[in-house]
Amino acid sequence: MKILIFDSSTLISLVMNGLFEEIRQIKKIFDGKFLITKEVKNEVIDRPLNIKRFELEAIKIQELLDDKTIVMPEELKIDSSEISRKTYEVLELANNCFLSNGKEIHLIDAGEASCIALSKHLNEKKIENLMCIDERTTRNIVESPEDLKSFLQKKIHSRIEIKKNRLEYFSGLKIIRSAELVYVAWKKGAIKSRDKKVLDAMLWAVKFKGCSISEDEIREIQKI
Amino acid sequence: MQEGKNLLDILEQTKKAIQKEDTATIKNLSDRTNNTVAKTHDPDNITLAVIIYAMSKIIERRQYRNYPGWNKFYKNVNVYFDKLIYCLRQKNEECFSETLKLIRAEIDNLSGKLRRYIQDVFRKAEINKASKIYEHGISLEKTAKLLGITMYEVAGYSGQSGIIDETINKISAKSRIKIAMEFFK
Repeated sequence: MKILIFDSSTLISLVMNGLFEEIRQIKKIFDGKFLITKEVKNEVIDRPLNIKRFELEAIKIQELLDDKTIVMPEELKIDSSEISRKTYEVLELANNCFLSNGKEIHLIDAGEASCIALSKHLNEKKIENLMCIDERTTRNIVESPEDLKSFLQKKIHSRIEIKKNRLEYFSGLKIIRSAELVYVAWKKGAIKSRDKKVLDAMLWAVKFKGCSISEDEIREIQKI
Repeated sequence: MQEGKNLLDILEQTKKAIQKEDTATIKNLSDRTNNTVAKTHDPDNITLAVIIYAMSKIIERRQYRNYPGWNKFYKNVNVYFDKLIYCLRQKNEECFSETLKLIRAEIDNLSGKLRRYIQDVFRKAEINKASKIYEHGISLEKTAKLLGITMYEVAGYSGQSGIIDETINKISAKSRIKIAMEFFK
């Protein structure tokens, strides 16, 4: 069993482009489950359900849950409260790794941390999993904390220290973005058109709705 | 309230720029609050950043001045800016926080079209500030929470404004595609 864990940022990039049917088609070619945590559900469904401007997106994601395209951890007999508990550990670690003038910079929040907590939990149970995260900060904490340190120094204009021992926790986690998901869908025929222009359009569409991908990376993907 | 000296300087300059109707300077002053907000997440700093940015837009839109209620709104905001400066000089955090609340409440005291327009300016100012904080390396969700807006709004605005073009990628797109393709085998 393989698990793809969706962060709020990825679902937002996809659904704001109306790619609901595409998510269903990708699921059909995937031998595993698409999972979201309780914290992510709160961000993409529960809260926007009360905001008229995003109510439709919330309802459409709820439909993905209703038809089991996406499932909650309980579907795999994983207790969400256990993931929530681990989420606080992740928050404590991640938000105390980077310091500016000796003070911690709180970089991430519960939804993002819950994806890491779930991925770690699945790793402990030897269940193959991948996180799908479009926003860059969480991805950088996991993949390239030193680069994130340089980035923060440049942006905040102050010296940043890293507590490296705390970062070990994040090693061994794997991340893709909606851009790679769109590519897989296109390559594996989950999207009807084989036209490269469709792939190009989808990559730009997810970028314009928040997927952290550069123009150079889009060009790199187009050349594959 | 954090970095009081810096804030005092920003406020004093903003007050002068509002009187001169120098919107470019007001926007620059608003940007000066971004670093502090990204580092401290201080709610008062966030509110102030939003108010200063919103003021640059409000001053820019001269047509607002023709609506009933404008004169009172403009006069009161100026009075509150003086009070904010006074609170900072006195190092009185409570006074500063309360005055920020009064500025926001001033919008609720408006009526008709002016109220709708100014509410909209403030809403957009919140999204703009959120995208600036996200640009400074704070996560999408954390930023949305700090500003009290949805992740949908921050993601959409950031995606279209080119803020996320500055990506940090240790793993190339090609390698990430390989990971995804193998996972979907």
